[in-house]
Amino acid sequence: MSVDHKVSSLLPFLSSPKLLPDESEAEFQSGLKSLLSELDNPSPLAVALVSQLNESLWWIKRHTVDKELLLHEAMARLLSKAGNHWDTYDNHKVSEALERYLNGRAEKDEAEWIGEILAESKLTLSDLRVRAFKDAAKHIKMVDDLIHRQHQTMRHLQRSIDSIDYKSRLIKRMDLELAALESKQPVTGALTLDDKPS
Amino acid sequence: MTINHRRSLANRSNALKSTGPTSLSGKRASSQNSRKHGLNSAPDYESSSEYRALVDLIAKEGFSVFACADIASGLLNYRRVMDAYYDTYTSPEPVDEFLRDVDVKASIPIFKELLSPSGSEPGDVREMAAFFADMQRLERRKGGPVSRRSADTHKLIRYQRNGIARLSRAIRQG
Repeated sequence: MSVDHKVSSLLPFLSSPKLLPDESEAEFQSGLKSLLSELDNPSPLAVALVSQLNESLWWIKRHTVDKELLLHEAMARLLSKAGNHWDTYDNHKVSEALERYLNGRAEKDEAEWIGEILAESKLTLSDLRVRAFKDAAKHIKMVDDLIHRQHQTMRHLQRSIDSIDYKSRLIKRMDLELAALESKQPVTGALTLDDKPS
Repeated sequence: MTINHRRSLANRSNALKSTGPTSLSGKRASSQNSRKHGLNSAPDYESSSEYRALVDLIAKEGFSVFACADIASGLLNYRRVMDAYYDTYTSPEPVDEFLRDVDVKASIPIFKELLSPSGSEPGDVREMAAFFADMQRLERRKGGPVSRRSADTHKLIRYQRNGIARLSRAIRQG
C-alpha cells in the first residue's frame, strides 16, 4: 500500500489540520511528505501521527511569527501614545506605517512622521523596541508557552511513532522466527504437541 | 462629539438597564453565551461511524481490542482539541474599538443627558463614568488582536497536554 493511499485510508476518519487563508497548502503537504519519507513503510496509524507532528511544526511556525507581531503591536501602540495620537490608538495607520518604516519601504512623509514622533518622545527605534518588549512580555511569555507545548506534543508523537514501529518490527520478527521453526521441524524431527512420549 | 459617538454611548447605557432575555428561545440562546470551546463536555465517540472505522483500521496493526478502542478515542479526542485550538486562534474576542478609544471624561455631559430623564443624581453620572472607565481599562489591557488570540489559545494548553498524553499512553501500552 503506498503512503498516499495510507494517508487517504485513515485521514477521512479524522479532521485534517486547517490552514489560514494566507498559508500555502503546497508547503504544508511538502512538509508532511518529507516527514513521511523518513519512515520505512509506515502503517496508517503512523501516517496519522506524522500528520499531527507536521501540524505541530506548523503551529510552531505560526507562533514564532506571532511573537514578532506582538512586538510590532506593542511598538505601534507606544508610538501612538508617544505622539499624542491616543484617538488613533493602535490603528492600522500607525501599524502599517511602522511596518513599512521598519522594512525600509516607507514613503518620505511617513518616515518623517515616525521620526518626528520618536524625536518628540525622545526615543530611538531600539528604545522603542525595548519598551515594547517590556510591555508585551506577558503575551510573549504566553506564546513561548504555546511553542513549548507544541515541542512537548511532538515528543509524545515521536515516542508513539517509535512504539508503533517497534511493535510492527517485533511482530514481523516473531512471524519470521515462527516460520523458521516450522520449516526446521521436519528436518530435526522435533516432537509436536500431538506426539505422545513412548 | 459625533452623532455616532452619542448613539453608541446611549446604546451601551441602555444595554446596562437590560434585564436579559425573557423568551424561552432567548434564554436558551443566551445560556450558551459563555460557551468557549466545549472541551469540558464528554463526547460520545463510541457511537460515531468514524470511531468504528478507526477501530477496524487500527486492529489490522496488531493492537488488542481494548487498545484499539483507546487509540481511536484518543485520536478523535486529540483532533477535537486541535480543531478547538484552531477555532480559538482564528476567532479571538474582537477589539471593541469604540470602548478602547472613547474619551470617558469628555462623555460626562452625554451621561448627564442620558440619565436626566430618570431623575438621576450627580453621583449616578460619576458612577456611570467610572463604570465606562473600568471597562475601557479592561479593554485596553487585553491588547490588540494578536495579544488576544495568544491569551485565548493559551487557555487550551491543558486540554492539548491531556489529549496528547492520553493518545500517547494508549499507543505505548497497546
